[in-house]
Amino acid sequence: MSAATPAASTPEGVSPSAANTTTTSEPAYTSTSAIDKLVLDYLRSRGLKGAEEALKEAISATTEEQDVPKPPEPSISATAAIPPDELVKKLAVFTPKETKPGENAMKDTSNVLQELASMGNTTNIQNLIASIPSIGAEEILSLDPTDKHEGFRELEAWVEGSLDMYRPEFRPILFPIFCHFYLDLVQHGFKDAALDFHQTFSPSLSPVHHSTIHHMSTILLPIHVQTDEVAQRFRNEKYTIRMSRSGFSLLVGWLTEGVGGEATGAGEGFTGEKGKRGRSAIMRVVNNHLRFDVTTSPTTSVSPNSWEESTGFLTSVTPQANASIVTDPQAFNSSRGELKLGPAPLSEELRTETERVLREQAMIDRDPTAQYDPHYARQTTVPGLTSPSLSDLPPHPPTFKTVDVKREVEKVRDARKRIRLEPSALMSANLNTPQGAAARSRALPSICCYTLHDAGEGVPCCTFSQDTSLMAAGFSESYIRLWSLKGEKLKGYRSDFQSSSIRDASSLKKIREKGGSTTRKLIGHSGPVYSVAFDPVGGSASPPRYLLSASADATTRLWSLDTMTNVVAYRGHQNPIWDVQWSPMGIYFATASRDRTARLWSTDRTSALRVYAGHLGDVDCVQFHPNSLYLATGSSDWTARLWDVQRGSCVRVFIGHQGIVSTLAFSPDGRYLATAGEDLAINLWDLGSGKRIKKMAGHTASVYSLAFSAESSMLVSGGADWTVRCWDVKSSGGSASKARENGTLTNGTGATSMENGDRKEDSIETTDLLATFPTKRTPIIDVQFTSRNLCLVAGPYLSPETR
Amino acid sequence: MSKQNIKARAPTQLTGIYKADSIRDVAESLNITNLSDNVASALASDVEYRIHQVVEEAAKFMRHARRTTMTTADIDNALRVLNIEPLYGHTPHNPPTFRRALPFPNLQSAGSVYFVEDEEIDFDRVIREEKLTLPKGVSWTAHWLAVEGVQPLIPENPPAIPRDPDQDLKPGSPARPGTIFPPTPPSDGPHQAAKKAAQQQQQLVKQVLSRELQLYYTRLTSALLPTSGTADPAKRTAALASLRHDAGLQALLPYIVRWVGEGVVAALRGGVQTEADARVLEVFLDVIGALLDNPTLFVEPYLHQLLPPLLSVLLHSALPPAQSTHLRTAAAQTLAHLLTTYATTYPSLPPRVMKTLLLALLAQGRSAGTREGAVRGLVGVGREAVRKGLLEGGGARVVGAECAEGREGTWSIVDAVMDALRVLSPPSAQPMPLNPANEEDARAVAQLRDQLGDFFAQRLMDDAAWARGVLSGGES
Repeated sequence: MSAATPAASTPEGVSPSAANTTTTSEPAYTSTSAIDKLVLDYLRSRGLKGAEEALKEAISATTEEQDVPKPPEPSISATAAIPPDELVKKLAVFTPKETKPGENAMKDTSNVLQELASMGNTTNIQNLIASIPSIGAEEILSLDPTDKHEGFRELEAWVEGSLDMYRPEFRPILFPIFCHFYLDLVQHGFKDAALDFHQTFSPSLSPVHHSTIHHMSTILLPIHVQTDEVAQRFRNEKYTIRMSRSGFSLLVGWLTEGVGGEATGAGEGFTGEKGKRGRSAIMRVVNNHLRFDVTTSPTTSVSPNSWEESTGFLTSVTPQANASIVTDPQAFNSSRGELKLGPAPLSEELRTETERVLREQAMIDRDPTAQYDPHYARQTTVPGLTSPSLSDLPPHPPTFKTVDVKREVEKVRDARKRIRLEPSALMSANLNTPQGAAARSRALPSICCYTLHDAGEGVPCCTFSQDTSLMAAGFSESYIRLWSLKGEKLKGYRSDFQSSSIRDASSLKKIREKGGSTTRKLIGHSGPVYSVAFDPVGGSASPPRYLLSASADATTRLWSLDTMTNVVAYRGHQNPIWDVQWSPMGIYFATASRDRTARLWSTDRTSALRVYAGHLGDVDCVQFHPNSLYLATGSSDWTARLWDVQRGSCVRVFIGHQGIVSTLAFSPDGRYLATAGEDLAINLWDLGSGKRIKKMAGHTASVYSLAFSAESSMLVSGGADWTVRCWDVKSSGGSASKARENGTLTNGTGATSMENGDRKEDSIETTDLLATFPTKRTPIIDVQFTSRNLCLVAGPYLSPETR
Repeated sequence: MSKQNIKARAPTQLTGIYKADSIRDVAESLNITNLSDNVASALASDVEYRIHQVVEEAAKFMRHARRTTMTTADIDNALRVLNIEPLYGHTPHNPPTFRRALPFPNLQSAGSVYFVEDEEIDFDRVIREEKLTLPKGVSWTAHWLAVEGVQPLIPENPPAIPRDPDQDLKPGSPARPGTIFPPTPPSDGPHQAAKKAAQQQQQLVKQVLSRELQLYYTRLTSALLPTSGTADPAKRTAALASLRHDAGLQALLPYIVRWVGEGVVAALRGGVQTEADARVLEVFLDVIGALLDNPTLFVEPYLHQLLPPLLSVLLHSALPPAQSTHLRTAAAQTLAHLLTTYATTYPSLPPRVMKTLLLALLAQGRSAGTREGAVRGLVGVGREAVRKGLLEGGGARVVGAECAEGREGTWSIVDAVMDALRVLSPPSAQPMPLNPANEEDARAVAQLRDQLGDFFAQRLMDDAAWARGVLSGGES
């Protein structure tokens, strides 16, 4: 319980009048029937027909002569035959309350039981009372199924009836209370009541919390509550909710006094007896399982999506730094200090060599104006970003090779010839004019779509090499297929040669395979291949020499593209590996696995160098920061984290997705991280502060791949809704319900059909969605920008008859 | 397995799918009969929870395989990582189809029963027919999805659809952030498919009749067959003349052909009883004749549509007696005309027509009218057809035998046969009867009886030259 909760929060769900009658009449009655009658009366006064009837039946079973008054209405509850112990439980709910109205129920359970036992004469009742286990009253109190139902209905009514400015603040409270009530009901065996509760209230919550609520609905037995991971998190961890001070005091007021927030049609529920007990049930959950993060910021400044960042099991998903418990992700992020997000430095020798080559080429080309400064190729250092020094980088060989020079030279050339994409130009231009069309072509990329046909069981992954000479795809059928996009034949080496006969390059050429085709199958994995990656050493200048692949068989394999064979299998993960990525300078790579860890490997060692552990769910995706100092992971625990590659510690945590984080991408300038989740949103994060910049919505199915353009000004996403979408990174975004003059650019003809004012307000597209390009039944599994800003996308065509 | 798939796909479905009854059924199959309700329902809940556990795990595999439908392979992978023996024998390539059984009348409470369809495979058919071709494997194609932000209108890209309001609604509905896996991505809904189909149909009928032609068509049909009042013969003659000679009617041809076909069917189906009906049929025959006569029309593609009405008139069993001969003769003449015109360009046409006619002539149980029509038709097809039908095929014998029984109204068929025989060989001017005493003549008589049957042999015996001619025609 947080310190902010007022002290006067003991559950007080007892009617004084009922209690009075009990206490006064207690000495008068000594016979069994009197007590029974008393209890029955009490039950009827509470409207608990089910319990009442159960008791009646128990009584009539023992004392036939007992004349029991009939209840006025027919019973609705289906508890016709309640076993004795259950009856005791039901009884026990009320007995402590009637005898000691004012006191904390926790203390006096045993007293009550004693009292009851001393006055009761019937052995039957006595036995029942004796069989009540000595559990806390808290437990027993929470047993009654009806007060949960009532309580939640009232809470919902109160939240919906509250002022518009508070409603976004109060809404998040519904979900944890719903879950706790449901779990309570299941825990105590009220399966039907739990299902009823779920059915009644889940529709209003499911749009946002769909997956968790669905998971909850599968929990039906007490044993499930004890073993299920999600349920245990609800039980053992505090669910954090952010609230403004005024909002919080309103909530406390309502919980204790039932004041405020007149609900429509709720009537006297707020003040009545039932209402009180319902509120006390809510209060119990609030006390035990919620943590309120009371902010001083005024209510109005909270944006509608901000609850996503400040709600949930923040304590557990936030990494715990040096023993002190950090509960606020923002506090954690700021406690980790500055990050070095600037571009990686080049070694002095490599730079001079690159400059020399560039100068020579400029001489040959007789183009004195050509830029030869390699810094031209670098990202212009953004003010405020610290660049790492050479010693900060993971160790690399001290000498450089020809391929490195070629890569750096090509980088400069690419930077010169790059298509410039300026989506910001689009915002100001009127698209119906010729200038607007020109702005469009400046702003939006050209996208080349590679469609895979007859892919069979599915293509989990696909990637292009940086020089676009090769395409690799991993298949569910456990193999990898390589294609040469330039139409060259892919040849390995023959296996029947004497190593002594190889002396120079020409003799090596002799043992190359004859024939061959432009495609090649790499066989080695024994499970679906979930990720493939070409080594980045060649850059855009020369073809890659290695390919990494990760598979469900828990191995990562390194394939040599010279020999077209598997060179190494890296074992270490115990579970399927979902993703593998090279570090930007080669040699190192990172894997993400179902075993909740990400690992860092070096190609020359078969065991992992670092294990990044901390996620509470599968690590689904992994990506290196462009300067290779940091590693980002996205996880099934709905968070993304940024790790220090060398230290292996978590330096940032990004909380805000409402679903599994399925893919992520760093901006080339090193400042932003884009993550996409199963909540169909794409979030853009500022790495330095760890704060969410904006949420981009528009996809209607899972997002599979993200890529930034080279200037970091545009984000392209592809997903299962068969579309490729372009997003403006720099614009502020926001919901589309605001006036949209620009509309969406669809199919290139969109400019004419933009001014349709009848856009439904449930359109989820945010305004920073620049364009949507649909494909014909092709989910886009990979999106990549070439170094010259051409966008390549790939996906398997789903023929309509097979699926 | 696919049951689980369904479960995973319907996220709104609440729990309680796995019924306690199922547990009880399983228990019974294990010889546990006294399973209490509590146990059964608790077990059902637990089974459901476990299934969900597996499905949630399988969903991970599905997601990472970049699919939106769960396959049995996902379930197997999930079971494997959960340390459970996978279920062997289920391949995603061949998903079992669940069929719903017919309601079981004896046991209403059983509810709907589903079973796995077990297809019967006919080995003969498989061996004979299916030549399996190896799939050519995965291949790729590249195309421009967008060029500088504009999606080119090429076949690889979906057609540009103007955004209409209900189009906007469509992505909206599955796009609620809660729905995580729309079973099928929403960009190509049935709505759009229907629209596409409509577009295609429009493309098929892009040739539109001019107003003048439409007017001409209505005038023509009303002149030929006025819907009310009596037909004006002059008008009809004029219409037929126009049809026979006017140029530029090619566009109308399919419509006229269809009109004729439908008209004949309607007339014949109604049972041709009255003279008016017969006249209608006559008009249609005239129209067909006129179409064939018109040198500017290219009728050949429509022959297969013209033949059915023609043959129907020819072979229909119940034409009004007064007009039947006339109608059949007219139809046979038109048929002859059609065949002479198109036999050269369409060589397989006469044999096909002949086959139909022979069937009508020789098959058992045909009415005299049909046989008469067939004989007349054969005459129309040609001498060779008559020879084949009447002599070789034994058509004359069949008809003769029926005539000999003395049925009603056989005179017209006898006439028809005699006409046909005349086609084979012309009768001599001064008939000389065959002399049975003469040995040569006796042989001819025997041959006649053999080929034509007693009835017609009797008739031919009076003219020796004709009989010999017929026989020689039959032999040659």
